[in-house]
Amino acid sequence: MQLELRGITKRFGSLTANDHISLTVEPGQIHSLLGENGAGKSTLMNVLFGLLSPDEGEILIDGVVTPIHDSGDAVRRGIGMVHQHFMLVPVFTVTENVVLGFEPTKSLDRIDYKRATQEIRELSHRFKLDVDPEATLENLPVGIQQRVEIIKALSHDAELLILDEPTAVLTPQEIEALMEIMRSLAAAGKSILFITHKLKEVKEIADVITVIRLGKVVGTAEPTMSEGELASMMVGRSVNLTVEKTAYDPGETVLEIRDLVVRDDRGLVAVDGVSLDIRAGEVLAVAGVQGNGQTEFVEAIVGMRRVEAGTITLRGVDITNLTPREALDAGLGHIPEDRQRDGLVLSMSVADNLVLNTPRRAPFAKCGTRNFAAINANAERLVHDFDIRTTSIFAPVSSLSGGNQQKVIVARELSRPLEFLVASQPTRGLDVGSIEYVHRQIIEYRNRGNGSLIVTSELDEAYALGDRIAVMYEGKISGVVEPSISRESIGLLMAGSSMAAAGV
Amino acid sequence: MSLLPTSVASDSSIAKNKRTRVIAVLMAAVGLFAIFVFAIGSPANTHSQLTFTPLNLTNAPWHVGTLTVATRWTDLVLGLLMMVLAAEVFFREPRRGVMARFGFVAVLFLLALLFWAARAPGPSPIGYVNVTSFLVGASATTMVLVFGSLSGVMCERAGVVNIAIEGQFIGGAFLGSMIASTTHNFFYAAVAGAVIGGLIGLVLAFFALRYRSDQIIVGIVLVTMLSSLSSYLNLQVFTPFPNFNTGNLAPDLPIPLLSKIPLIGPVFFNQSGFFYLMIVLVGVVSFALFKTRYGLHVRAVGEHPRAAATVGIDVIRVRYINVVLGGAIAGIGGAAFMATQGQFQVGYTSGYGYIALAALIFGRWRPSGAVVASIIFGLSVYLSYELVTYQVPISLYFLEMFPYLITIAVVAGLIGRVRPPAADGQPYMRD
Repeated sequence: MQLELRGITKRFGSLTANDHISLTVEPGQIHSLLGENGAGKSTLMNVLFGLLSPDEGEILIDGVVTPIHDSGDAVRRGIGMVHQHFMLVPVFTVTENVVLGFEPTKSLDRIDYKRATQEIRELSHRFKLDVDPEATLENLPVGIQQRVEIIKALSHDAELLILDEPTAVLTPQEIEALMEIMRSLAAAGKSILFITHKLKEVKEIADVITVIRLGKVVGTAEPTMSEGELASMMVGRSVNLTVEKTAYDPGETVLEIRDLVVRDDRGLVAVDGVSLDIRAGEVLAVAGVQGNGQTEFVEAIVGMRRVEAGTITLRGVDITNLTPREALDAGLGHIPEDRQRDGLVLSMSVADNLVLNTPRRAPFAKCGTRNFAAINANAERLVHDFDIRTTSIFAPVSSLSGGNQQKVIVARELSRPLEFLVASQPTRGLDVGSIEYVHRQIIEYRNRGNGSLIVTSELDEAYALGDRIAVMYEGKISGVVEPSISRESIGLLMAGSSMAAAGV
Repeated sequence: MSLLPTSVASDSSIAKNKRTRVIAVLMAAVGLFAIFVFAIGSPANTHSQLTFTPLNLTNAPWHVGTLTVATRWTDLVLGLLMMVLAAEVFFREPRRGVMARFGFVAVLFLLALLFWAARAPGPSPIGYVNVTSFLVGASATTMVLVFGSLSGVMCERAGVVNIAIEGQFIGGAFLGSMIASTTHNFFYAAVAGAVIGGLIGLVLAFFALRYRSDQIIVGIVLVTMLSSLSSYLNLQVFTPFPNFNTGNLAPDLPIPLLSKIPLIGPVFFNQSGFFYLMIVLVGVVSFALFKTRYGLHVRAVGEHPRAAATVGIDVIRVRYINVVLGGAIAGIGGAAFMATQGQFQVGYTSGYGYIALAALIFGRWRPSGAVVASIIFGLSVYLSYELVTYQVPISLYFLEMFPYLITIAVVAGLIGRVRPPAADGQPYMRD
């Protein structure tokens, strides 16, 4: 199927999310849409999938103007979408998920599961998408769940597949498998629109690259262009993809974690006997696919979750099972994974958020009352020093962009005397400019001779920041390696191989 | 390559075993209580009489008189049976049916309690237990609970919490009585109950879906409103015009042949139309939810409404339909309750709607489970009323707590894993 977007424009109030976007996807082509978070990619996809209606412009399918009113319309026209957050029901079987909304029925409205299962087997055979139709979805690994999404789209006779940030939740090996699937789909004549902000993947898979920035198409790029060139097109200025670091010169051990065991909300062991040492002047990056216990690990360190067994020692002082306040007072800085839930009070002002963890301490409090002069002075200083873009220090922090919200947290944590910094997914959802900024702050902190632990599911980030990289799998550390190790080996560790099996 | 979290899986089975053992210990505790209080607490010379009148609906080639058993030994046997079941659960850790065994032990416990209460010579003025009339009486309570919990299944499977079941009972009972009194036809009463229950459901759905109000609060408001409104109307209509609330019992419709089976006949096959309707509804709802396209849509909407929306299912519409249908079922339940009592009285549903919600949870949001739970709760609720006449030295109120105690145990995760539909009670917003 040939798909053409002509002058698509979508406005939300004064914001123009898509500004006269035009592009054409040819049959059998893998067309990559490259852009930062907030560039307007998702809006465009929602327009294309009928979830939003464009203010201007038209969609042409095989040369014919085809308005798309809702997602049902899109599906009927042969457009399939593989959502970033899978649109699958965890407690349903694969078959139930695939047929949902398009069920073959027998008499009395009964679903013909036999026929449905048969069709799924055929599809998965034809496109080499191996999956058991009778398995319950939630028992399947994420990579297989994604296949179910693809099968679901194909079962509706999709000729064009939209893949929205499909690699965010995958291991490197799963990404490789996905790329294979994409190639075989393209070979079978399906068109693929691949949305991403990851330069490596674009270079590897795309036939054509359309780069968008601030809602506008800034140009078409060749996959042969370098990552640096692609990045500067995407951001609009030259970007420094590598972070300047001083030589690695670790000092004494700052944080010592021994045999840590932590349970998750359901009472299952999420962190299973982790031991790590982090030394002064080093960043230890903890890599791994999301959901392997990283969240619980960080929460246990900063006092937000009970430690079941094991010890955490900060400069010789036992800090196991402190309350969050005690952890703060012990000098732990924390950049939480979910900044809007655990890092900020969105409805409060920038100034208040900047003293959120020290409200009772001088000079911000005086005789049990708040000292607004000091709070405001602090805010003015940090907004300036950390380049936080806000209309005023009194504006609610919810009015800031994601990158600037993160800067508020970084400013708050790094502006007070710290013994140790724990950061979880510090750049998730940020644009390249903000990522660069946050990375620089963390590295500067490290260059001053401090220790820090950075949990990330972005392999690039682990490489960029880590002096050593620990890989977490199913609650255990499957290996601690130097950043000179190959991505393939780390990928194997992320999938649970032992150090020896990963060739380390 | 497998990302299946194997260590986590094995861990979850450990957690499950721990819970299974907690249940086993609970069962053993109940059994021990039966042995030490009911069996050993009965003097050796006491006995309990069981009668079965009517045994069936024919004139008796197989008339059984009274069955006299030694209270101590009977309760000892019952207690030991509970202990055996507890031991089986503790050591074998069966993967399925733990809840059913727990329920069975609860029923055995109630029986032991009943024998003990009716022992003679003893404090009770009535020296016998009429098994038939006990079961028939409990079946009426059970029926109301089944209607209520089926209503809950319909609503919550689609992701809306219907806490207004109690209000729908009241509405159905009030209007049902009025219609039954004026038309002398319980079919019309059932229709009236369905209409008023459906309307209350519509109001709940309107606030919950259009304005995304808190479903629990809207539900509670509806119950409070309905209970006050029914008191007011009772005073204004039924008191001055008693002809509108004349007192009718729905006629029993014995099923040929089947009703002649001893014991089973009178309990299951000599019931009012409401009872048969309930059985049909259980089958229909079960079939619709788990076999049909409609059911798949409902469950998808209750689990992951956005996923349902992306394949063109109208989430709001499905929810409206189910909440109204669920309300109608509860409304019929109210009319059915009225038909077992004869007339409307203020406040006589006394929390059955909430017990039905508990049965829904205990039954894990499945029609079949809801039936099992309703039987257990129905027996215990009815027993708590019956025991008053036996002058048991236990407060009626403790017995009334029984369904709620079980429910708390269930909700706290003590018994089995309970997982409501993922989007239960969550407002849905299109973007």
